[in-house]
Amino acid sequence: MSLRRVAVLLSKELLRGPRNFMFIFAVVAPVLITLLVWLLFGTIFADAARLGLVDEGNSRLVGLAQGLDALTVKTYPSAAELEEAAANGRIDMGLVLPAGFDAAIIAGAPTEVAAFVWGESQMKHRVVVGTAVTRLMREIAGQAAPVEIVAVILGDGESISWEARLLPLIVLMSIILGGSMVPATSLVEEKQKRTLTALNVTPASLGEIFLAKGLLGMGLSLVMGLLILILNRAFGQAPGLLMLVLFLGAAMAAAIGVLLGAFIRDINTLFTVIKAAGILLYAPALIYLFPTIPQWIGRLFPTYYMIHPVVAIVQEGAGWADVAPELGVLVALILALVGVIAGVARRAPRAEGQLNPA
Amino acid sequence: MINGRLIRTLVVKDVTLIFKNRFFAFITVFGLVAYVAIYFLLPRSLNDTLALGLYAPAVPDVLRERLSGDGLDLTLVDSDAALQAGVLAGDYPVGIALPADMLAQVQAGAKPQAQLYLTAELPPELKEAYTVLLEEIAFLVSGQVLTIEATETILGPDLAGRQIAPRDRMLPLLAVIVLLMETLALASLISSEIEGRTLQALLVTPMRVQDLFVSKGLVGVGLAFGQAMLILIITGGLSRAPVVLAAALLLGALLTTGIGFMLASVARDMMSVMAWGVVTLIVLIIPALMVLLPGLATTWIRLIPSYYLVDTVHRALNFGAGWGAVWQNLLVLLATAVAFFWLGMAALRRKFQ
Repeated sequence: MSLRRVAVLLSKELLRGPRNFMFIFAVVAPVLITLLVWLLFGTIFADAARLGLVDEGNSRLVGLAQGLDALTVKTYPSAAELEEAAANGRIDMGLVLPAGFDAAIIAGAPTEVAAFVWGESQMKHRVVVGTAVTRLMREIAGQAAPVEIVAVILGDGESISWEARLLPLIVLMSIILGGSMVPATSLVEEKQKRTLTALNVTPASLGEIFLAKGLLGMGLSLVMGLLILILNRAFGQAPGLLMLVLFLGAAMAAAIGVLLGAFIRDINTLFTVIKAAGILLYAPALIYLFPTIPQWIGRLFPTYYMIHPVVAIVQEGAGWADVAPELGVLVALILALVGVIAGVARRAPRAEGQLNPA
Repeated sequence: MINGRLIRTLVVKDVTLIFKNRFFAFITVFGLVAYVAIYFLLPRSLNDTLALGLYAPAVPDVLRERLSGDGLDLTLVDSDAALQAGVLAGDYPVGIALPADMLAQVQAGAKPQAQLYLTAELPPELKEAYTVLLEEIAFLVSGQVLTIEATETILGPDLAGRQIAPRDRMLPLLAVIVLLMETLALASLISSEIEGRTLQALLVTPMRVQDLFVSKGLVGVGLAFGQAMLILIITGGLSRAPVVLAAALLLGALLTTGIGFMLASVARDMMSVMAWGVVTLIVLIIPALMVLLPGLATTWIRLIPSYYLVDTVHRALNFGAGWGAVWQNLLVLLATAVAFFWLGMAALRRKFQ
């Protein structure tokens, strides 16, 4: 094994890789999915009712409403814009607060407000908006709540937001797309274009070619994993440990990618295998999405040992001692995969002088 | 004059070749099964009420009836213990217990305690919503009134109590994805034929260029339209406005086939078909996301041709819209479909001639 030849091959991969569709896809897809998750869970899946307000005076109600978790409040400059927002579903309900609104409430004078309701808004959101606004008006009117509310938490469950549940899936996707798909497609393309055969007649060995492609996948996987964690503001309290876990995860993904590339003959088959086997790779993250599924099932899948330590570190504040057993299994899996790759690299040239060309 | 026998032969050849491509054969079958499974796994209805349990021995029946009105799904229980058990069992997310002597305490100027039972799984925004609701119930019980009159205007169809189920909101998105996936298969087939020069070889036979486009068009439109219709048939989507839906999907299939021709004219192999195809897919799917997230709809969405397909499918599927309501959409869709089909043919002709 010549490190110089590996470096030359890697520099070629680095130069040509970014022009490859899969490379671009591995960079763009996790970022797009992160943005989509923010969009979806900041809007449709958030259960806060959306209130629009036009303040024609200087009502305290706007500031008070903005301070409530139960409401997402938007302000509009005119009644026409408020009406349009309600008609398009940007808000559940819109209110036009006339000039002198607060003074009228305090004086107990009869007051009229115009309300625009989006026809498709859920009834519970209408109830929440109506109740919350009424409650705030009472506050402005100086009416004190007649009861003291004591909140009693029952049971020992915990609230896991959908953003938190989806984080493992997005991180796993970024690691696998970069780590596995990039080396696999690169190897298969080299086989289809017969450049792998050409490389094989140079002093470069198959092992060196595998290593160069694997290193590219690893690097991309590591960078994307980090980027996604940073974008999701999920870096945890132990960045050194997190880096190690991501490094090992990227190594495992790259090993899987090199093996796929070594055994699969053409792009069609590669995509088919990835589509069909994807469920196995992503299974631990899919199981994590639904806390009611027994979480031990995730341990049956190899990628559990790369993603669970990440989740434990960033969401549960786990340290070395907590994730050491899983990291041990991960290292064992990587060694096993590297052993298989080494076997393939040793035997393939002797068997046919090239690796199952298309 | 179109040669029917020749076209039939070409169609059979193309369909066979598409299904010989393991990837596209797999995603066609897997996709259909997966989309149908996704549909049936999604909730069949949307409960849009605010559920709560109430233990309030001193609250007058008139007020209880008022609380049981629109938007509140109220469960009355006989004891505090039963209320807590109901919350833990998931019968309702929150339980409210008002003391038996609440009214007397309020009248005496005291501030009685009211219990709000909830589980830790309750999202913070809902916890606050229920707290506000409890306060308002207490205000009502104590007889404090506000002199505010709201003049409500409901904009659009009022779906209160009969919300569109999540699965039905998802259906237009699934139909569009099916149409577009077949586009990729067609583009991949054509690009491989161009790169392999088999298309040029076909043109030295009695086959003419128009026969070629008719056959490719039939394959593209047929596969895309057939699968989209199949999904609607299986999911029961054709129960309302079937003719409008069929027309919209047919025009959608024509549009995506034209896009498929354009993709094939710029792509060299399956990888580049995927590269261009994914970008196209993302752009064309945006209007379908607007059905899922109506609040995000903006006017520029109308510049994307698939908007007219998605909007028509959504309105026909979920509101039973007829020709009168969607004819403008269909007209725009027809015009863009024909334009894209023609542009696609022109781009392809330039590439292989």
